[in-house]
Amino acid sequence: MEQPKVGVFLSDCGKQLSEILDFDALTSFVKTIPNVALIARGSEFWRGKGLQTIVDAVKNGKINRVVVAENITKISDVNIAQAVENAGLNSYLVEVIDLKNHCAWPHRNTPKEATEKAKAMLLSAIERAKLLEPIEKLEFPALKSALIIGGGIGGMQTAVDLTDLGFEVNLIEKAPFLGGLAARAGRFFPTDDCAICIQPPSSDVKTITHTSRKCVYRSGFSEIPNLNILTNASVVAVDGVPGNYKVTVEKKPRYVDADKCVACDKCVSVCPVETSDAYNANLSKRKAIYINVPVVHPQVYVIDEDACKFHDCAKCVSACPTNAIDLDQKPEQVTFNVGSIVVATGFKEFDPSAIKEYHYDEYPDVVTNLELARMIDGFGPTGGQIMRPSNGKPAKKIVFVQCAGSRDRRYNPYCSGICCMISLKNASLVKEANPDAEISICYIDIRTTGREHEYYYERARDMGIKFVKGRPTEIYADEEKGKLIVDVEDALLKRFLDLEADLVVLATAMVPAEGTAELAELLGLDLEVDGFFKEYNAKLRPTETKQRGIFLCGGATFPKDAPTVSLHAHSAAMKAVKFLTSGKIVKDQRTAFVNDEFCGDCEFCPVMCPYGAISLEPTTEDHFVARVSDLLCEGCGVCVGTCPLNAIELRHSRPAQMEAQVKALMSVNGTSKPLVLAICCQECGHTAVDSSGMAKLQYPANVRIIKVPCAGIVRVNQILEAFKAGAQGVMIVECKTDGCHYEVGSEKANKKMDFAKVLLKEYGIEPERLETFKMVYIEGAQFAEAAQMMTDRVAKLGTLKLLGDS
Amino acid sequence: MPHHNIKKAETMSFSEEVTCRHGGETLTACYQCGTCASSCPVARLDPRFNPREVIKLSLLGEREEVVSGDAIWLCTSCFNCQERCPQNVEIADVIYALRNIAIEAGHSPNIYADFGAALIAEGRIVQISKFVEKKREEYGLPPLKPVGVEDLNKILVATGFIKPEKTEASQ
Repeated sequence: MEQPKVGVFLSDCGKQLSEILDFDALTSFVKTIPNVALIARGSEFWRGKGLQTIVDAVKNGKINRVVVAENITKISDVNIAQAVENAGLNSYLVEVIDLKNHCAWPHRNTPKEATEKAKAMLLSAIERAKLLEPIEKLEFPALKSALIIGGGIGGMQTAVDLTDLGFEVNLIEKAPFLGGLAARAGRFFPTDDCAICIQPPSSDVKTITHTSRKCVYRSGFSEIPNLNILTNASVVAVDGVPGNYKVTVEKKPRYVDADKCVACDKCVSVCPVETSDAYNANLSKRKAIYINVPVVHPQVYVIDEDACKFHDCAKCVSACPTNAIDLDQKPEQVTFNVGSIVVATGFKEFDPSAIKEYHYDEYPDVVTNLELARMIDGFGPTGGQIMRPSNGKPAKKIVFVQCAGSRDRRYNPYCSGICCMISLKNASLVKEANPDAEISICYIDIRTTGREHEYYYERARDMGIKFVKGRPTEIYADEEKGKLIVDVEDALLKRFLDLEADLVVLATAMVPAEGTAELAELLGLDLEVDGFFKEYNAKLRPTETKQRGIFLCGGATFPKDAPTVSLHAHSAAMKAVKFLTSGKIVKDQRTAFVNDEFCGDCEFCPVMCPYGAISLEPTTEDHFVARVSDLLCEGCGVCVGTCPLNAIELRHSRPAQMEAQVKALMSVNGTSKPLVLAICCQECGHTAVDSSGMAKLQYPANVRIIKVPCAGIVRVNQILEAFKAGAQGVMIVECKTDGCHYEVGSEKANKKMDFAKVLLKEYGIEPERLETFKMVYIEGAQFAEAAQMMTDRVAKLGTLKLLGDS
Repeated sequence: MPHHNIKKAETMSFSEEVTCRHGGETLTACYQCGTCASSCPVARLDPRFNPREVIKLSLLGEREEVVSGDAIWLCTSCFNCQERCPQNVEIADVIYALRNIAIEAGHSPNIYADFGAALIAEGRIVQISKFVEKKREEYGLPPLKPVGVEDLNKILVATGFIKPEKTEASQ
């Protein structure tokens, strides 16, 4: 490789730094360092003339490594890296340090000491620069296609977006019909329109206008040319990488050929089997061959396996005019190759029979909001009549009980968020249709936080719906009166009420859909504390996951109302498009690589890697080595810190570079205080150092900063090396454990530092010389305080004596 | 969440005083849903007692009202409220903690002093009546054994239930 020729560009940030640091001394110092080919001084190098100086030096071949002492607050590193790349030098051959916020400002009261520290910082940057290696851009092919899991309102809207933008989409739904929970819920707030109404796809040439919205079954959704809909289907296996997933889907038999069925109803009329209709809250009966409601998609009958007598009966087979019924259909597996996966599996109602005192499974007249919604629906089991399931008589007195299983530490500690609005909507719909209905809502807190939601509460009060502030302790049956009694205290009146009811409606909690945990396991996704799918970052990447090609949408991440599901669906679609639209994934090879000579037969790194980027590859018989996927690797270095044989390294942060930097930082002191090395993760740790400088907080200049990708990369031997190089104390400055940018890095670092302390003791070094600090960007004050504390602590301990020291 | 008693008693709020006591730890989880009140057999009969109100007053720091009032002594420890509280507030246990604070502050119904005196003197808080003894005999239960009052008193001293009288030497 070409001999390194380092260009050093010293910015005094418009003379403000030269008032503190002795720039002449710095220049003469840098001149003495081998391989420095150019030194330039200026007031700024991140733009304009200064940047042009760097570009010219690169272009005329004078330098092949760039060290810039600038001011990171001006995003100088981004600009400089880009300019250098354009000038023909790999952008990874640039090292930018911040003499202002990491040196001049925090040590402004001790300018001589600051100048000595600046020398150490420059030497460290130059030594690192000499060892830097170019990093290539990689391209991975990616399919412009998606598999959407879940055919509810979220999955369908994502499908419309993706197909409109030219993606091949496979939409799979576990149930025999599309629509999900939304289709059963009847009407939606705040628009009061039908749940199954969607925005038609642009392929619906006949009706598409900006204003149109339509029932799913006539929206043209099912006829989108690049959409493949599979009902009765679920994922059984997932393989591959982002951009190229291979998903195996199992399709349960429908026993009716979709291509032949004309939805004529003849099969239903001859079917002798009647069974309880779970879709309609078991409030009515249906046949063993059935369709949920007339407006569903697909318009194809399905046979209920548990109820049908198959060949013992087969009346439907002979009745079918198109020979569509095939009782011998078997489950089949289908494989899809797709670029991305969207999880839109939604949520479901909590089973309130767990709350014994509400007797849900004992009293038929205690129902859930979804069951009431089926009664409200004109296509529902009661034709829109609100009745008592126990005797089919009209329900006049209705009591709603909020938070049934929500905000309850025994079941679901969270607020499900939408149940107040659902009850207000359902109560208003019932009251509107039956003005003489007597409706009470028992609540702990009414939460109507969305736009226009408070008006529902207002309207409900206006309609004469009563509100009782109290959570009922029990629902019991008054056999004589034939009523249910809701036992509740109105806390505002401090009065005990026994509310009589024909029907009690439980506003049940909303919990993760069936099979959520299993699907998460298949997809390699995490669940959050309440069991829903966990997004990558709730604030910034609400529909992305730690698997780059897998996206989340709708109620899969938490219960949501329809408008929020829509937002989520469009966001997930946008993210999938952004990821795949160019047909390739481009990324820098800022990744780990394995040295086969040292690696072998251990499984530490694949287990530790937060991104599943490392696999084991067999070599000879019974032996294997680790392999890193450049596509999946995020370049954090947790594997590096984990490897017991030092067999794995990061291309952009080699141990040799760190060693050279530490030696450099420890080679110049210039203060009366003992040297302390602060190893800072490039995320929160290093930015906390930035912010302490920006705030001009003061800490002693003996504290020397080194940046690493993640605290998880640090090896125990590197701590020992630091002491050997002259550090009297070592600080690890990192993200807070649950805020680690690389999931587990901070946590792994802590374990290693605990171990390092044990080793230090063995070597006769006081373990207090090593300390871990967790902070976030804004906690500059904590960093300054920690730096002062460590300096004081180490000074008190006295000079470190190492074995072999004379 | 249990609080650890790190503050000095004088600077503690009343709710902190309660939560750092055994039994009182769960006080702050209460969100006033009132499930306890509607579960309570006493609250319906006696307007002086409402568990939700006792908890609320404690949270608001109404120490005097809670400690010197009748309410906390009216709880029958049926634990209905505790069983049904959705926030796992151990209401009956919180009330025990409040009673302990009240006793230390010199507020306790006379009957508790009588119970204490009987325990020290006879080893039982309630005297066993002839009626009870007869009933036991009827059911074929063995007669109650006499209590070792002296040994019991040793335990009561050791646990601090009986404060050793100050002798001249210790003064």
